[in-house]
Amino acid sequence: MPRLTAYRSWNALPNKENTAGPCVRSGGPQARRSSPQPHLQNKSAMTHSPRTPILVMLAPAVSLVGVFIFLPMLLTIWLSFQAWSTQTGFGSTRFVGLQNYADLLSPLSVGRDFRQAFWNTAFYTALSVIVILPLSVALGLMVYQTRVAGGHVLRTVLFSTYMVPMIAVALVWSKLYSPNEGPLNQIIGWFGFDRQLWLSSPDTALASIVLLNVWQQVGYFTVLVIAGLTQIPTSLYEAARIDGANPVQSFFGVTLPLLRRTLLFSAVIAVINAVQVFEPVALITQGGPANSTNVLTYYIRRVGIERAQGGLGSAMAVTLMLALIVVIVALFAFARRGDDDK
Amino acid sequence: MKTSHGTTFVSALIATALLSGSALAAPTAISYLTHWSPETVAKLEAAAKEFTAANPDVTVTVRAVPFGDLLTTIRSQGSSAESPTIASIYDLWLPELARDKLVEPAPEANAKEIGSDWPAGVASAASVGGKYYGYPNEIDVYALNYNKKLFAEAGIAAPPATWAEFEAAAEKLTKKEGDRIRQQGFGMINSWAAGVVHPFASLLVSNGGDLIVDGKPTLDSKAAASTFKLYEDFIKKGYTDPAMGTADANTTGPFLDNFVSGNTGMIIMANWWESALKGGLGDRFSDIGTAPIPVGPDGDKARSISYSWLTVVNTGASAEQREAAWKFLSWLNGPSSGKDGASAMSDILLSMGILPSRSSDVTAHAKDLDRDFLAGYVKTLADAKPFPVVLGGQEFSEALQQVIEGIQYGRLSAEEAQANAQADSVSILERAAQ
Repeated sequence: MPRLTAYRSWNALPNKENTAGPCVRSGGPQARRSSPQPHLQNKSAMTHSPRTPILVMLAPAVSLVGVFIFLPMLLTIWLSFQAWSTQTGFGSTRFVGLQNYADLLSPLSVGRDFRQAFWNTAFYTALSVIVILPLSVALGLMVYQTRVAGGHVLRTVLFSTYMVPMIAVALVWSKLYSPNEGPLNQIIGWFGFDRQLWLSSPDTALASIVLLNVWQQVGYFTVLVIAGLTQIPTSLYEAARIDGANPVQSFFGVTLPLLRRTLLFSAVIAVINAVQVFEPVALITQGGPANSTNVLTYYIRRVGIERAQGGLGSAMAVTLMLALIVVIVALFAFARRGDDDK
Repeated sequence: MKTSHGTTFVSALIATALLSGSALAAPTAISYLTHWSPETVAKLEAAAKEFTAANPDVTVTVRAVPFGDLLTTIRSQGSSAESPTIASIYDLWLPELARDKLVEPAPEANAKEIGSDWPAGVASAASVGGKYYGYPNEIDVYALNYNKKLFAEAGIAAPPATWAEFEAAAEKLTKKEGDRIRQQGFGMINSWAAGVVHPFASLLVSNGGDLIVDGKPTLDSKAAASTFKLYEDFIKKGYTDPAMGTADANTTGPFLDNFVSGNTGMIIMANWWESALKGGLGDRFSDIGTAPIPVGPDGDKARSISYSWLTVVNTGASAEQREAAWKFLSWLNGPSSGKDGASAMSDILLSMGILPSRSSDVTAHAKDLDRDFLAGYVKTLADAKPFPVVLGGQEFSEALQQVIEGIQYGRLSAEEAQANAQADSVSILERAAQ
């Protein structure tokens, strides 16, 4: 569960909501006022210590980050300006300038397919996040209510979908979506709806993959929301109730603002997960029909590995990375603006 | 002490001798990568066992991956010693795998055997730059498969021989409920490059056209324009429902299910799917007929597209493994490994409905090749054109797939599809040749 660990570290960071909670319970301001001295002492000791030991202490971590993160990134960026077959050594690269990037924008098949894959990925990501986050909050609130019988069981059931291997999910869902014999069409038929083509139509195939993703991931994000809810002090709800707030006002005035950090974390993870979508496409649709489920990771694999066009594949990977950076920075900027507005 | 030292020395010598002896006796382990189904893999494993019984110094293990992952597996594992020693490949992939030195040219003795025991056209598909790179085994050719029962219900006496008859048959076979196509006259496959491109190419060559001539794409021809238009007409007139033609990573899926269930009247497919049809249809398999590809207005006779598969040896394997691999392949494809002068490979292939290619295998299996379903394919083979094997062939095929699917889903007109297909092909082949 590396993501949960990351989440715990994230929530351990000082922020308005997290520091507010413990302070209320422990008479906060007093306790906090007594702490600065040792903190200053430590800082002083650090300031006067020789520079070399700090560098020595940092070296292992910096070296690991450099070798395993920055070096591959730089290598990918460098390769994106080269013509290179992935089956040959780096010595066989040929500098082509911006040609690979120009190909991605060209009206020819490689450009058309890349742009289609880019927009498919953007649509998949946006729809996944838009559906998963509100749904996880709704389910989180429902499961968090202590009075709900079997709340723990429901929590386990919700999370269990996250643990099912994708190959099993793909097998089952491809049958569920069958236009002729699929149970989904039979179910919607009972309610008088027309038969849907699901994965067999370019108009609905990508949304069908999103539905599968939501089903699998929503339990995980619900657990995150529940973890966020546990950090909201009940005294705030009591105060809101005394002030005459109804449950809806409490939700928008207390719950949602104090879940901001949790939701930001969830959004970042949901975006990263969604951008990396690969398995359902590779296992179920192969990018079809009519390229409608061709996503960037799948297309990069096709170009970079199947066709061995390493330079072109790297240019796609760099573009994907830049797009992801823009989205994540925008999310943080949005969250910061919300904090500043307060 | 002396004695003790001497004993230890002698013991060490014996131990070393025994160890090196056992190391020498250790069999050479080779592996064989394929995309075949578990039932067929079991047959290959049985053949490998038989080979090991006669050659205890070699053991063969078989690994199978879905067709959609086969090329990726070969590419991603590269030419490392851990990658499969032998791989079964589609001939379209050979030029690039040879260029990237992932596959080894056949040793002289094996090359001589390939050159003399296979028809020249088939053997040439296993060669690049005048060198043979593997043993050709299967030959696949496309033909029109039709449901005799549906034909009888629609009052169609014989399979269509021309495009005009083809269109008329498709119209009669199509049944609709409101806007929904309940039974399609002709099934077009999507979401699988070969499944989309090969039937289209079969109609194109049967209309007197070609995909590539002398390394240059010829999709801007009049014959190609008519073929794109034929597809557009079938979609617009509702004789084809693309939603019924989806394929999955294992090259099965709704297109197969719909043909087996009697929801598709006609489809253009290769002989290898005989086993899939038998599995799905059971006793109703006899309802399926095979006929030549209908001739287009610009065509002179019924033609089709053929392609082959071959088994290649990994350059990254050790010298012992490569030697053992060529020995195994020679035996597997040779006349002594199967029944009645046929090769073990041909027995395995025919169990799936795949045509063997070695001349002696064709003779040995003359009776099997005459069975109803396959006879139609064998007849078609004589006038089939090999799918062009060129550098960039896989990308060319995938690009053409996308424009054909564009027509299938009404996203491109026939004219747009043709213009895109030609421009894409020129660019892809030029870049691949650099």
